[in-house]
Amino acid sequence: MHIKSLPLLLSVCLIGDATVFGEDWPGWGGNDPGRNFFSAAKGLPTTFNPGKMKSGTEDIDLATTKGVKWVAKLGSQSYGNPVVAGGRVYVGTNNESPRDKRHVGDRSCLYCFDEKTGEFLWQLVVPKLKSGKVNDWENLGLLASPAVVGDRVYVVTSRCEVLCLDAKGMANGNDGPYTDEAKYVVQDTGKPPIEPGKTDADILWRYDMMDELGVFPHNASNCSILVVGDVLYVCTSNGQDWTHVNVPSPNSPSFISLDAKTGKLVGEDNAGIGPRIFHGQWTSPSTGVVNGKRLVFFGGGDGVCYALDAEAKKGDGSPIVPVLPGPEFKREEETDNSYLKKVWWADLNPPEYKFKDGKPIKYPAAEGVSEINSTPVFYKNRVYVATGQDPEHGEGVGHLVCLDATKTGDITKTGVLWSYQGIKRSISTVSIDPSTGLLFVGDFSGFVHCVDAETGKLYWVYDMKAHMWGSTMVADGKVFVGDEDGDFTVLAADKKLKLLSEVNVGAPIYSTPVIANGVMYVGSQTHLFAVGAEGQPTGSDKPRNEIQIKN
Amino acid sequence: MGTSRSRVFVTGARAQTIHHHRAVCLGAESAEQTALIFSTFSSKSRTSDRSHQTPIGHDHRLRDRSFVVIELKIVRTRIILVATDVFRGHAKKVNLDRILPMKRLALLLTLATFAGRLSSPAAPVTGWLNWRGPEQSGVSREKGLPTKLDAHHPLWEVDFPGQSAPVITGNRLYINGYLGDGPDLQEVTACFDADTGKQIWQHAENDFLSDTIYLRYATSSPTIDPETGNIYAQHTQGLLMAFSPDGKLLWKHSMMEEFGRLTFPNSRTGSPVVDHELVITRGITSAWGAHGAAGDRFYAFDKKTGELVWSSAPGDRPQDNTFSNPLLDIWEGKRVLYTAGGDSTILAINARTGEPLWRFPFAKAGAKGGINAALIRHRNSLIAVHESENLDSSEIGRMAAFRIPASAEVKPTNAFIPHVFGATNFEVWRQPSVGSLASSPVLVGNTVYEVTGTGDLCSVDATTGRLHWKKKLGIEQRQSSPFFADGLLYIGVYVTLKDSEAGAQKDADSVANGDLVVLRPGADGAEEVSRTQVTGRCYGSPIGYNGKVYLQTDKKLYCFGKAGNTKGTVPDPTPEGWPKPGPAAQLQVIPYEIFIHPGETQSFRIRVLDAQGFTVQESLDPKSVHWESYIPPTALVKATLKASFNADGQLVAEAAKTASAGQFKATFKTASGTELTGYIKGRILPGLPLKYDFEAIELANTTTNSVEPATKFNYPPLPWNSARFRFEIREKASDSAANKAMIKTIDNKLFQRGQVFFGFPGMSNYTVEADVLSEGTRRKMSEVGVINQRYIVLLKGNAQQLEINSNQERLKVSVPFKWTPDTWYHLKTRVDTAPDGSATVRAKAWKKGDDEPAAWTLEVPHHHGHTSGSPGLYGFAPQDQRVAIDNLTVTPN
Repeated sequence: MHIKSLPLLLSVCLIGDATVFGEDWPGWGGNDPGRNFFSAAKGLPTTFNPGKMKSGTEDIDLATTKGVKWVAKLGSQSYGNPVVAGGRVYVGTNNESPRDKRHVGDRSCLYCFDEKTGEFLWQLVVPKLKSGKVNDWENLGLLASPAVVGDRVYVVTSRCEVLCLDAKGMANGNDGPYTDEAKYVVQDTGKPPIEPGKTDADILWRYDMMDELGVFPHNASNCSILVVGDVLYVCTSNGQDWTHVNVPSPNSPSFISLDAKTGKLVGEDNAGIGPRIFHGQWTSPSTGVVNGKRLVFFGGGDGVCYALDAEAKKGDGSPIVPVLPGPEFKREEETDNSYLKKVWWADLNPPEYKFKDGKPIKYPAAEGVSEINSTPVFYKNRVYVATGQDPEHGEGVGHLVCLDATKTGDITKTGVLWSYQGIKRSISTVSIDPSTGLLFVGDFSGFVHCVDAETGKLYWVYDMKAHMWGSTMVADGKVFVGDEDGDFTVLAADKKLKLLSEVNVGAPIYSTPVIANGVMYVGSQTHLFAVGAEGQPTGSDKPRNEIQIKN
Repeated sequence: MGTSRSRVFVTGARAQTIHHHRAVCLGAESAEQTALIFSTFSSKSRTSDRSHQTPIGHDHRLRDRSFVVIELKIVRTRIILVATDVFRGHAKKVNLDRILPMKRLALLLTLATFAGRLSSPAAPVTGWLNWRGPEQSGVSREKGLPTKLDAHHPLWEVDFPGQSAPVITGNRLYINGYLGDGPDLQEVTACFDADTGKQIWQHAENDFLSDTIYLRYATSSPTIDPETGNIYAQHTQGLLMAFSPDGKLLWKHSMMEEFGRLTFPNSRTGSPVVDHELVITRGITSAWGAHGAAGDRFYAFDKKTGELVWSSAPGDRPQDNTFSNPLLDIWEGKRVLYTAGGDSTILAINARTGEPLWRFPFAKAGAKGGINAALIRHRNSLIAVHESENLDSSEIGRMAAFRIPASAEVKPTNAFIPHVFGATNFEVWRQPSVGSLASSPVLVGNTVYEVTGTGDLCSVDATTGRLHWKKKLGIEQRQSSPFFADGLLYIGVYVTLKDSEAGAQKDADSVANGDLVVLRPGADGAEEVSRTQVTGRCYGSPIGYNGKVYLQTDKKLYCFGKAGNTKGTVPDPTPEGWPKPGPAAQLQVIPYEIFIHPGETQSFRIRVLDAQGFTVQESLDPKSVHWESYIPPTALVKATLKASFNADGQLVAEAAKTASAGQFKATFKTASGTELTGYIKGRILPGLPLKYDFEAIELANTTTNSVEPATKFNYPPLPWNSARFRFEIREKASDSAANKAMIKTIDNKLFQRGQVFFGFPGMSNYTVEADVLSEGTRRKMSEVGVINQRYIVLLKGNAQQLEINSNQERLKVSVPFKWTPDTWYHLKTRVDTAPDGSATVRAKAWKKGDDEPAAWTLEVPHHHGHTSGSPGLYGFAPQDQRVAIDNLTVTPN
């Protein structure tokens, strides 16, 4: 299913239709609210030459590249996956290659480039939280992919905020209601305000999840926002503190929805995950319409995949009942709050990951339970997702499941259509090729797995021999994937394993290759490569997927 | 009297005579209490044999002479000698009673002399004595270590998880690890028989109040003193301990409670380093006075007495915790310690005095923070590696060589601030493709071997930085560091390199186990000699000694090779020269920092040093020194120690039960009229009962931070450890009246949580009570509580709980407790220890003004209890909601 972030009605009309009519990649998962990492693009290159740096600089000499339209210098760490919409390319990075001399030091940045030329247009500059690593680890940069709808860019910052930005930046003036950008960019730095210029971001509204919800993000906030109509769905990144036991804000929500126009809170989950968070929560949601009801799918920090009713409903005073056993949780839905209520849930950690010889296996032991960091992918009334952990926890066992999204209640036993424990811990999101029904997914131990999406039958495993942080991208009969060694690998999207090419881009690849308007974007830690020879299809000048926000 | 046996190793290297035989002792093991004496009956010259050690066994180089082990047994009143010819296997028992009394006495005196010589510099203890080995670079000159290692067929293995490298002398292996689970997990320093794996002794300590997460006990390595054979170990919670070879605890410091040592989730803990009479350790501390702010600091203790000799703060604000192992060297006539600092610099301090000499930045905080690998010196350069942000490029990590600055370039402004150089002043070369978070390089000739963070073994030219080759050993490497011996590299690989099949297997071993790899590096690459999968991941580093290779994983301790002495034992490096002292230039007063009760008397030793810090005179008559109270010009809190020196040169604390802190300056006039000076600092804290209501403290200062309106305050009492930047005394509304309270501040977010200590680590069996309060909103409240004997007892705002914890991974028990913002509650907690070492922690809380509930709300038994600990405060204000603590009392149970 490949649809844009359109209003509900239009989305429903497109369910089940695998055609693509927009070639932008406007958010995490592209045009697909189910967030399957597939593109219908054809004629994609099987390799490129990333070229060499100009002597004495960190800029790539385009003349030394092959098959590359343009290259943009990023910071030193770039986990933010590129997004392409309305003739612009957005990518999150840090500030180690400062674009503006007025903004130096550790900042998280969202860069906006011209899609055709790679010209730098503007940047969002986000200072670090003063509390340091525990909430906002140094130099990680901006981790989320923005979601672009028309002229609006929605993004979660490393300060655990949701921002709505103007896609045109400050070039068209400082639009409101938020107009304090001069102060925003220097908060907690001790520096005087910096008046925004043409290359600065224009913040339209701001929602601070720490302040408004009491959220305590663990190390990083990273959700790639899901937009459905005029509602945003966001994982709050609520988690533990240093102790890796204590959740300072156990009653703060894990998932919320916001009004896309105003940034006001619409609803929060009633899952009661807080006290059962294993570590942090770094998943991004997906959505689909099942049995006529729109559901949002979240991977919980407790290792449970949740389907929530996308429409927030008033609290009715009923007890909030956590899914997993654990400490007493005495809370009720508040009647002056609205909730995204649980429709179904599945605990993805099998019993053998919880107990060994009758004794509990303690998180984060390699053979034990994990949370969900990847995005549950909704495809043909099923949800596909694997478990994994913060890379800092190293390798471990994983679990890939195919869930029947049409069921309700606890579907841990009843809704698992197939599961695969050959996968190791994975923070990668799956790719399903609709033309073959083959599912591809990477894991943190460096293996790419090819299984039948219908049955779970394993076809092959490819060893990248390096950690994989990003996800596979499937298009044009090929699987595109990068790894920590900086190898960009292309495999045949086929039942038979075939390595088509491998090229090293000179720095680790922690993001996922994406395809928009015939061009593939490969982001390393330090550079963004727009792969596609001159003369290839290029981006449009106009936004293609206007959002229709009802007033 | 039962059988009493003491055991002594003897070698002929520096011979002493038993009758007409030559022998010398090396190390003692009294656990079996057998006296074992090697005695050579041959007079052949040993000058060509540089071995200083012959552990029990069969050193081939000694076969040309008759070597006898004499075992002395005292059985009741009879003394029996069992003489065994080591190489011929003959044994003969001699009843000493039959020997003439005078001869017997002479023999016993000789044996006593041997025992005495255990602490003599003339009898060095040798072996793999510290984490990085005999050359401080992971290199051993030993030949003939086993090369085909097979984890299915080790010489021995024991379940002893940890992240250390063993240290060995004779056939005694010492190592740190952790045993048990949950609240009963304990960190252990243990001694094993190096040949058999039989445990000889162990010393276990609880984790307490630390931030060590999961089972991530980044245990350091013990260090063996080459002079005495004593063992020094620092556990992750900051207990620094000295042991005799037979496991007797000689002294102990709680670095957390005494010196404000902070702990971190990564648990990185430095291994102590012994330098002559000093044992030096490090850590990020935030204590009191000039050491109130967080800093990566160094502490040198007298290795025999445990007294602090110096402390040193060479760095800027730390970016990360580091356990980079210090490198000792002689630099321009000074004894120096080079290391990487928590502020991501490379630094040098004077190892005799702690004077910071210089530093320069090497990296910035990054995803994989801190510089944790040890430095190595190659000619006049220091080679370092990190995997963090670089200062001048956007590549992550690099290896680089830096020229060591010349002393003429170094101009420290005063004794406490080093010369700070720019980033690139001294860089000789850099190799950006070789980065590592914590795995230390190995220097062999002109080649550096390094395992990168992504599991590639790299060979780098030490002179030019050119990368010779890379070889993939795994896909990730943490702090396990290789060692090199006899042309081979021994490497513990973090997680086993999987074959492609493993990718589709439900296979926990492939992600939970590491590999031990032996490689023969060459000009173009490395040949894999053997590779074996070990149970558990490799954080610890392998070492090789006496024909055996050892490795600790996070599950097991392995030994590979053959039992007994092997052909391969080779001499340790020649002892380095020790400069002769110059003219007297300064005083070193020991202990440098004191921590006493009112009315107590403290004596000092006063050492005279030359300008470089070398000892000119070991002990000056304390009566000959003039003492005066001293306030550093930079001190924010101008306070003096409420104590005075008596005629004997001892410091006598005033009897009044008040807390104070400050410094004294010692001045000595030499015969030639030169004035020598030295300093001490200290704290005086009263014992129980304690009562603080803060009302008498004048709010003499006004806040200037940007997060709150100007507010009157005063600093917390100077002698309270780790209080500054976390708590202040301010007005707080209580009921209707305003009163003064200890307030958890919110302007310094790095200290959004504070743990404060205002007592002694040895205090036990007491009750702490306090009024506590948290500000709050609908979704945001803070956590507030007190520390009682290493247990935190707190109210949690957002969770609405009353809790007892002590490292929450280890011990955490909570019950629901409803409390509201901006309301005073009363917290009461009592800890009782039992003779069996268990403890019971009790807590209750109630709204202030209400009747005290009769029963305790929480009663937590703790099997391995914390049997003592300082009282303290706890506050955690993550969402800018201040907490307040008032009417604090500590009373004996």
